[in-house]
This record gives sequence, structure tokens and C-alpha cells, in this order.
Amino acid sequence: MTTTAIPAESQRATPPAPKRRPKREREGAAWVFLSPWVLGAVVLTLLPMAVSLYLSFTDYNLFDPPRWVGLRNYTQMFTEDPRYWRSVVTTLTYVVIAVPLQLALALVVALALKSMKHGKAFYRSAFYAPSLLGASMSIALVWRAVFNDGGTVDNLLGTGGWVNKPGWALLAVALLTVWQFGAPMVIFLAGLQQIPAELYEAAAVDGAGKWRQFLSVTVPMLSPVLFFNLVLQTIQAFQVFTPAFAISAGKGGPADSTLVYTMYLYDRGFVASHMGYASAMAWVLLLVIGIVTVVLFRTSRSWVFYASEGDR
Amino acid sequence: MPGHRTKGFCASAVALVLCAVLAGCGGSGESVGGGKVVLRYTWWGNPDRAERTEQAVALFEKQHPDIRVQTSFSGYDAYKQKLAVQASGGDAPDVMQLDYRQIDQYASGGVLFDLSQQKTVLRTSEIDAGLLDTGRVDGVQYAVPQGRGTETVVYDVKAWKDSGVPLPTQGWTWDDWAEAMRALKERTGKPGATDPGWSEDSFEVWLRGQGKSLYTEDGQLGFTADDLTRWWTFTDKLRREGAVSSAEQTTQVDGTVENTPLGRGTALSDTNWDAPSSGYLAIVASGVALAPMPSNEDGTPGQYFKPSMFLGVGASTSHPKAAAQLIDFLINDDEAAKILGATRGIPVNETIRKETAPLLKDFDRTISDYQASLEGKLKDPPQAPPSGDNALQTTFQRDYDQVSYERMSPREAAENYVTEAKAELRS
Repeated sequence: MTTTAIPAESQRATPPAPKRRPKREREGAAWVFLSPWVLGAVVLTLLPMAVSLYLSFTDYNLFDPPRWVGLRNYTQMFTEDPRYWRSVVTTLTYVVIAVPLQLALALVVALALKSMKHGKAFYRSAFYAPSLLGASMSIALVWRAVFNDGGTVDNLLGTGGWVNKPGWALLAVALLTVWQFGAPMVIFLAGLQQIPAELYEAAAVDGAGKWRQFLSVTVPMLSPVLFFNLVLQTIQAFQVFTPAFAISAGKGGPADSTLVYTMYLYDRGFVASHMGYASAMAWVLLLVIGIVTVVLFRTSRSWVFYASEGDR
Repeated sequence: MPGHRTKGFCASAVALVLCAVLAGCGGSGESVGGGKVVLRYTWWGNPDRAERTEQAVALFEKQHPDIRVQTSFSGYDAYKQKLAVQASGGDAPDVMQLDYRQIDQYASGGVLFDLSQQKTVLRTSEIDAGLLDTGRVDGVQYAVPQGRGTETVVYDVKAWKDSGVPLPTQGWTWDDWAEAMRALKERTGKPGATDPGWSEDSFEVWLRGQGKSLYTEDGQLGFTADDLTRWWTFTDKLRREGAVSSAEQTTQVDGTVENTPLGRGTALSDTNWDAPSSGYLAIVASGVALAPMPSNEDGTPGQYFKPSMFLGVGASTSHPKAAAQLIDFLINDDEAAKILGATRGIPVNETIRKETAPLLKDFDRTISDYQASLEGKLKDPPQAPPSGDNALQTTFQRDYDQVSYERMSPREAAENYVTEAKAELRS
């Protein structure tokens, strides 16, 4: 039944067809308007990617022409470079700390905002602001000052500077990301507002309390949004760079404790001038992010609930 | 016909986009309105150096109304990285300040202009031949030394005097130095110095005092893991005693004076090059003085006079003559010398050095007197370090981090460093 309904409906929705220009002409115009983006994609994305893939099989120090070394960069990375593995572990630790914390905070704030009667717009902007500011270097530097010894956190908690303690520095980096929970929060908020009020009413009639309603109505209804945020934030977290760079003054210190993957990549490329090695690292990162995303999508089948599934 | 119009529209739109893209690519180093030549001049340093450089550049622009100079500067680490990227992208500045460690790589990478082509404009006759040679690679003059520097122990005079610990003297040894650090810690409660274990430069002084060097003549590592283990054991012990700065303080050192323990007011002295030490004046209220680096126990000094920095011209510059004029001005002009003082080390032009020495004021005078006190006592400088050294400086600091945070023993860290250094120097 549904299969026949769709074309019927879409036909009804289509406005009376205007006089069409010849197809070619329309295509031409489309290309004209697309050209800046097509050009951008080719020149600024595809071409550099191709070059980087080539470089990942070479030894290239920026000054001399690249020298072909086959898979050496890759084998060196996996078998001879302890700092590479340290950066992998640091990044994974970071992802595991930052992503759940950030999503939990975003959800809690979104829930609070949803039930607010007044001043919603103000608080929504106020909580979103860090996401606009946070990516900037200046905020990261402020963060460094706040968590430095003699900084605000030191004065308040008397814990000494976090950014100078190998055990704490990564947490300071993660907190900077967590603090920028605005984007997932706004998406959560939109998702929450999509949940039909009748579901809550029905649940209430059946005697479900607030907590039960949250677990049985909100969570399943929100799961596609939760999944979307999870995928997006995880991908971003794997690529964390700015906060780690700023907080460690570009060194990944102290004692390599904030040496996240992209920092080490930067270090190999721009400090040690091993561009081939850095390119190889970039491709491995791309591959790993791809795999993680696929895994997330696979597992999502068991916990993400789409309202449309109910019809089947 | 609509068909025609669209085609025309297409073509002009594509042209527009291409123009925008191409315009974005060109531009740098081109002449702008009024036929003025625009030079990009980049360097590293501190605010003090910035102020004097701006003044000197303003004077140059006044003397050469047809040339405009765009300057930009940053801290050493950031500068090093930015310049490497610019240079490899074929976008090297017209005039750039270079370090001893960069010359070899930049020259062999084809980034630098052969300065002998501008002999008529850029005079080098007043520079000591040996010093001038340090800017030469494979017989080509790629850069001109701009100043002469040497390492120093820079200290907070008042705090040191008040503590009652005897002031550093000419010819003190590393043992004397360590004793002084311990005494300072005991009397003032503050560590005596920045932990020098992080600094490849300090290590080099210590090493040279024992007759060894960072690199052999053919660009291999000139010391063993045992040597480095001894150095790091020495500094690590002092750190544990609190006689030198803690790991938390040391790790913040990034090449700027502001982020050294002395600059932050948490230690009484620092080992640094003499020229940038002028930067401490603005932040250490009671003033700083310079002392020689400690020598080996048998009295052999490890420090040396080094061309503190160089000036080079980008191989891709469109204005080699103007660039050479600017370098000539910075090195050979009397007025410029007066403005610049000793902010980049003592002038290399011998006439100017003799003329300006008595005129130097304040801290420039301090630096000049300090260098004069070492004249004839130091050994010859080592040859320019091989290109891999650029990355090793950072590696050195990182490996020592592992020691000061007690994650590795000095021996483990030293072996780590030597392994990495060998790989770096091979490639």
C-alpha cells in the first residue's frame, strides 16, 4: 500500500511544471554555480590527498625531492616507534574520557533546557557560546593559564598546575573539549522536541515515573540523535589537536602525556621534517576512523530505534 | 539567443573564479602601488629585539623611500616551524634570520640565494673571515652572520647577593656551580637555576669541557649514551635535591625568556645565550648579570663564540638587490648598529664593533663586557651542526622530560636519545 501512496502523494505535491529550459543549458548553469566548490574540492582536498598518499611511500624532508621507500614508513610506525604507540594510547584514552563526558553533559543540559519555561533562548545561547569560542587558540591559551601552576584551578583546589603534571594534563585537554558541548546539545534539544508528548502522557497513564519515562520513552526515541552525536563526536575526538597543542605549548608534554595522534603527526612532519612519515600516519588515522565508524554503525543496529521501524 | 548568453556567462564566471584563485596564489613579494618594492623580513626574538628592529627598519625605509619592509617575528620554536613550511612551499621570505642549525639544510635544499651575486651592494669586508665562513656551504656564501654570541649563566643579581652565597667567578667548575645551586636553595628556599638537563646547548658546553663534541666532523653523533647518562644523572640529582627547578617548571621552557623559571620568578638563574638575556631585564625587576658557563674540573672551558644568527635571502625573491641592501644596512650601517645594540649579539662588522663598544649602554654594555672578558680564553667553535640536529634539539628536551618526571632512568632516556639521534642523522 505504501509503495503506491508515495508516487501519488509526490505528484500531488509537485507544483505545475514551469516551462523547462533545454537540459544542457540547465546543466551548464549548475556547473557554473558549482564550480567554486568543485574547484575547491579538487584543488584543496582531492589533489592534496593524492599527493599525501604518494608521499606516505616516500622519505621527504621538505627540502630535497621525495625518495621512494615503499612501505618503510608504515613498518617503522608499527614496529620501531614506541612514541607512535604512546600517541595511539593517549588518543584512545582521550576519546574514551572526552566523548562520553561531553555527550552526557550535552544531554543533561538539553533535558534541563527543554523543561525550562523562561529564558530558554538565553541559556541555549549561553551554553552554545563555548562551542563557538572554544575551537580558537586564544581560549586554549586561557585554559592553559587557568590550569597552570599559580592559575585559577591551582588557587581554588590547591592541586598545583594540571598542565604540568603528566597524570593530569590530558584531563585538562579533555575538559576543554567537554566544555564545548554546545553542538551536540542543540542537536539533542531538537531531538527531544521531536518526541511526541502523547508518548509521555500514555506512559504517565500507565503509571511510569519520570525516570521510567526517561528510560522507556526518551532514550529509545532519542537514540538516532544520540547515535548521530556519538559518531560525529568520536570522529572529531580522534582528530583532536588544538587543545593539546595549545595546552602543551606545541610539545605534547609534559613527558609526552598529551602527545595525541595528530600532535605526533605534526611533530614528525613539521618539527622533524619527516613529511612522508607524517603522511603515512595521516592515512592510518583515516583508515582507523573509517573502521571505528563502520563498527559504530554495525553495533547501532542493536540499540538505535527508528520510529519508522514500528510501522513494519 | 539564450544559448549564447549562457555560454558567455559561463566563460566569464569561470574566468572570474580562475582570476580569484590565481590572484590568491600570486601576490607575495610583488611590487604594490607606486612602484614600491615590498620586502618580507622575518626573524625570531623577544619584544626588546622587536622594538629595536622596528626602529632600524624605519630608518632603512627612510633612506630607501622606494622600499617597504614588512616585518614579522615570533619565538624561536614557532619561527623554526613556520619558516620550514614557508621555505618548502617556495614561499620563503625575502630576508630571513637563520640559525647555525638551519644553514646546512636550507642551503642544500635550494632555499637560499647565493649572496655573492649581490657583492656590490652587500659588503662583507669588515667581517672576520673565519666568522663569515660559517655562512658558507659548499663554497657558496648563503648567509651572513649577524652577531656573535656565547652562552652564559644569567642571574638575578640582587637575590643572589642577598642570599650571601658567593657570586659566580671566572673559571668556576660544574662542581662549584652545583654547590652554589645547593647553597642558594638552602638560603633562599628557591631553586638556584633552571634544570639545565633539558638543554642540548648546556649539555654541549659540559661535553666540550671534557674535550668531546655533539657531532663528529662527518656529521655523526660525537658522544655516547654513557656521556649523556652522566650528564642527566648529574642534573637529575640536583633536581631531586631541589637545587634546580622542578620538572613542572622546567617543562615550560620554550625558548622565550618569559617562560623560564627565572623569568617566572621561581628560580634565581638560568643558562641561556647572552643576547636574548636582555629580555630578562623587563621581567626581573632587580636586574640580572651575566657569568661565564662553568668549566670542566681541570679548567677547560666548554662554551664558545658562536655566530649568534645569520641573515639570508630567499632564493625565490623577486628583489635580490633590495634584500641585499637591507642586510647590508643591518650589518654595516653605523646608525643601525647604534639602534640594534647587542640585541642580536655583538656586531660582526669590526669597525662598528670597535666604534660602538664604548657607546653601548645598559645591558648591551653588559653583554659586550662579558664577551670581552672571555676573549682569547675559549676554544674554536664547532662546525655547523648537520641538518638532523634541528629535530634532535626537541628530542633532547622530550627525553629529559621522561627523566625529570621520573618515568625513565637517566640511562634509559640517554639510550633512547642516542638511538633516535642515530636514526635521525642517517636519514
